[in-house]
Amino acid sequence: MPTSVSNIVYKSTLGITAMQGRGFYFPYDFAFDNSKKMYVLGRGHDGDPRGCRITVMDFEEEYYGTFGSHGEQDGQFIWPSSIAINSQDKIFVSDEYLDKIIVLSTSGEFLFSWGQHGTGDGDFDGPNGLTFDGDGNLLVVDHRNGRIQVFDEEGGFIRKFGSVGNNEGQMDLPWGISTDSNGHIYVADWGNHRVQEFLADETFVKNFGYYGNEDGQLIHPSSVTVDSNGFVYIADWGNHRLQVYDSEANFICSTRGEATLSKWAQEFLDTNVEEKEARLKSELVFKLDGFEDDPHEESAHVEKFLWSPTAVKVHNEYVLIAESNRHRLQVFHQLS
Amino acid sequence: MANNNDTLLMAHLMRRAGFGASRIELDALVEQGYDETVDHIIDAKPEIPVSDYMIRRYQPDHGSLMGSTTNGSNWLYRMIWSDVAFQEKIALFWHGIFATGYSKLANGKVLHDQIKMFSKHGLGSFENLLVEISRDPAMIVWLDNCESHKGAINENYGRELLELFSMGTGNYTEQDIKEASRAFTGWTIANTEYMTLKSQRDSIWPYGRLSFHFEYDPDDHDDDEKTFLGRTGKFNGEDIVKIICEQKATANFISRHMYSFFVADEPPVPEWPYKEPNDSAAIDALSSVYFDSGFDIKEMLRFLFKSEFFKSEKVWNKRVKSPVELVAGALRLTKEFDRPSREEYFTCLRTSYMGQWLMHPPSVEGWHWGTEWLDSGTLVERVNFSSSSLGNLKSAGVKNIAENIRKSIKAPFKPEQVIDLALDQLGALIVSDNTRSNLVEYAESNFKSIDDDSKIADISNEDVGEVLKLVGAMPEFQRA
Repeated sequence: MPTSVSNIVYKSTLGITAMQGRGFYFPYDFAFDNSKKMYVLGRGHDGDPRGCRITVMDFEEEYYGTFGSHGEQDGQFIWPSSIAINSQDKIFVSDEYLDKIIVLSTSGEFLFSWGQHGTGDGDFDGPNGLTFDGDGNLLVVDHRNGRIQVFDEEGGFIRKFGSVGNNEGQMDLPWGISTDSNGHIYVADWGNHRVQEFLADETFVKNFGYYGNEDGQLIHPSSVTVDSNGFVYIADWGNHRLQVYDSEANFICSTRGEATLSKWAQEFLDTNVEEKEARLKSELVFKLDGFEDDPHEESAHVEKFLWSPTAVKVHNEYVLIAESNRHRLQVFHQLS
Repeated sequence: MANNNDTLLMAHLMRRAGFGASRIELDALVEQGYDETVDHIIDAKPEIPVSDYMIRRYQPDHGSLMGSTTNGSNWLYRMIWSDVAFQEKIALFWHGIFATGYSKLANGKVLHDQIKMFSKHGLGSFENLLVEISRDPAMIVWLDNCESHKGAINENYGRELLELFSMGTGNYTEQDIKEASRAFTGWTIANTEYMTLKSQRDSIWPYGRLSFHFEYDPDDHDDDEKTFLGRTGKFNGEDIVKIICEQKATANFISRHMYSFFVADEPPVPEWPYKEPNDSAAIDALSSVYFDSGFDIKEMLRFLFKSEFFKSEKVWNKRVKSPVELVAGALRLTKEFDRPSREEYFTCLRTSYMGQWLMHPPSVEGWHWGTEWLDSGTLVERVNFSSSSLGNLKSAGVKNIAENIRKSIKAPFKPEQVIDLALDQLGALIVSDNTRSNLVEYAESNFKSIDDDSKIADISNEDVGEVLKLVGAMPEFQRA
């Protein structure tokens, strides 16, 4: 563990709002394949199914297209929640409306799916966060059942742990999940305003955070990731910020976000000069009465701030965080 | 059936001050007492069991409210979940008067903010509410006050403030409109050019929509002397509102709106200068409370709900439910949405097929209420909705109602009893003799008289569900 750290440093922003084509519409999660392409999972919304898709791009905002669509047929989604890619570049998507895990190739071809509504082994009541462990098994947050289910890469049920509640090892509508290099499992326990850490054998280790809006406290965390130095990054969804802890769950730093114009955003404004000029004359960062108690409202007004961060992941030396309400990803440098 | 007058009166109150109540809810309220219930619903701080966090998690558009319909869908959640729906009813009342629409703003969040403002200030002083609506960002853009400048006024807001929001035509001059407009110069939103340009272009780029906020620009405010409604001074917007609120015409105008919304349909507002109120004494009484209470909306409504003109059986079931009232009322009975649901979005859309798309009023004048809600198309949509909703036994509330009815059936059973039980359980409904005759005819064709308790179990939830479906199709369910 480093003896000194500084605040997390902003790097750049990726993406732009787009109901279809290049860009995202309510992005909920993202994942990288072996070729370093990034797959951004768009949730869309009930009134506009076009946004329900996977956008393929890379870190330099090169755009490779989209696949996936809204619906209940094979390979389609209704309420897609999370995306993970295994070592063989198979894409796994959870759909919390259909109660399924849907498996696709990186070109968007439907491979297979499994799951149905229920409480039995292999059943789901709202599958959410996905991650692979060191053995290549898929961990699925089965959120309304308050448990984690573990499957092999073919969808075969292996084991489960957790139950509904607020004691150690219990969960209340958990959302995101991650593992670290030691095989420890981290679960964003959304309803209990904490992240729980477990050993690989599912023994409870400790909590990160508890309810509140002070440093280190959490309101409805959505996602968690751990870097190679052991720093734990938590998407503090209800406080609309990214928080960083050391491996002992000590608060290190947080950020409300620093978004700037992405490459795609800049291109949009360069071709829409009237909007660009009006924007340049505007004061887009300001304080209003009541903002201090309501970061959701503050983020509705101040564009650079994180607004409903749904997924945080480490990629190379960077930490990326997706914000559903601003349809973009903000990129930060890992702490070192 | 034990539909005593207290229960029927309470059902009337709950249909008007809320979106209706089930028989079980009515029993508890009758136990509490009528006046006490009025005080409770007016003074209560409503609780909503499902948090905004919960909705936003599953339906992210309810967080950003970018689009044209989600804000209405979000509001419908509050209407059906709030333990005391009166606050949402008040917001609906003001939304109909200060009608502001998405078509020009292209920003659902600022409209949502306006509705929240109505919930927060809609029961306070009318003077304060007029100041709040004058500084409301959605209204400022909707009626172009951001385009009204010192030396170059835009009269749109000044005109509607007097004509549609407070006094009504015939009570002021064209010069008063100009002077009021001068007083509101400088009342604008921050980053006006960028925000209005994004609205005009319906631009969601680069990163979604941005909320508006009020900004007062003293450099753009006309601080010279003005003469308004016979008074002269260096008036600002608050001064204009204060003078407006002191007018008898304002008291009458707001009283007539209240009467029309909560008591009995009045003609559309444009006809008011030419048609006397249906109950002039009631309008006069409400106007007196307006002045006596210092323009207090809450005290006016407390008086209204306790008045004899409100309690009179003559006005029971005389108002046609607006589409939103119909849908919210049915959903509170069916309880089909106990958590965020994509289906709720599509249910909310059905109010637009019935002629009331929330936050999409047809004009600044709002909707025309009363029988204007009904035409051959909207009536079919309304009946189909209420009938299918009340007959859907998959909904927890309908299943519960059906089971309550079955439990109440005892031998000796006559088919018409199931009709009385259904009307009672759906909120102590009163129907005409003709309607009742039609319902009884159905019951006699589909139920048998039973003399033996052991045969009562032969009546299924599905049998009762068909009766509920039929009651939902009756004209009385379309009325409040």
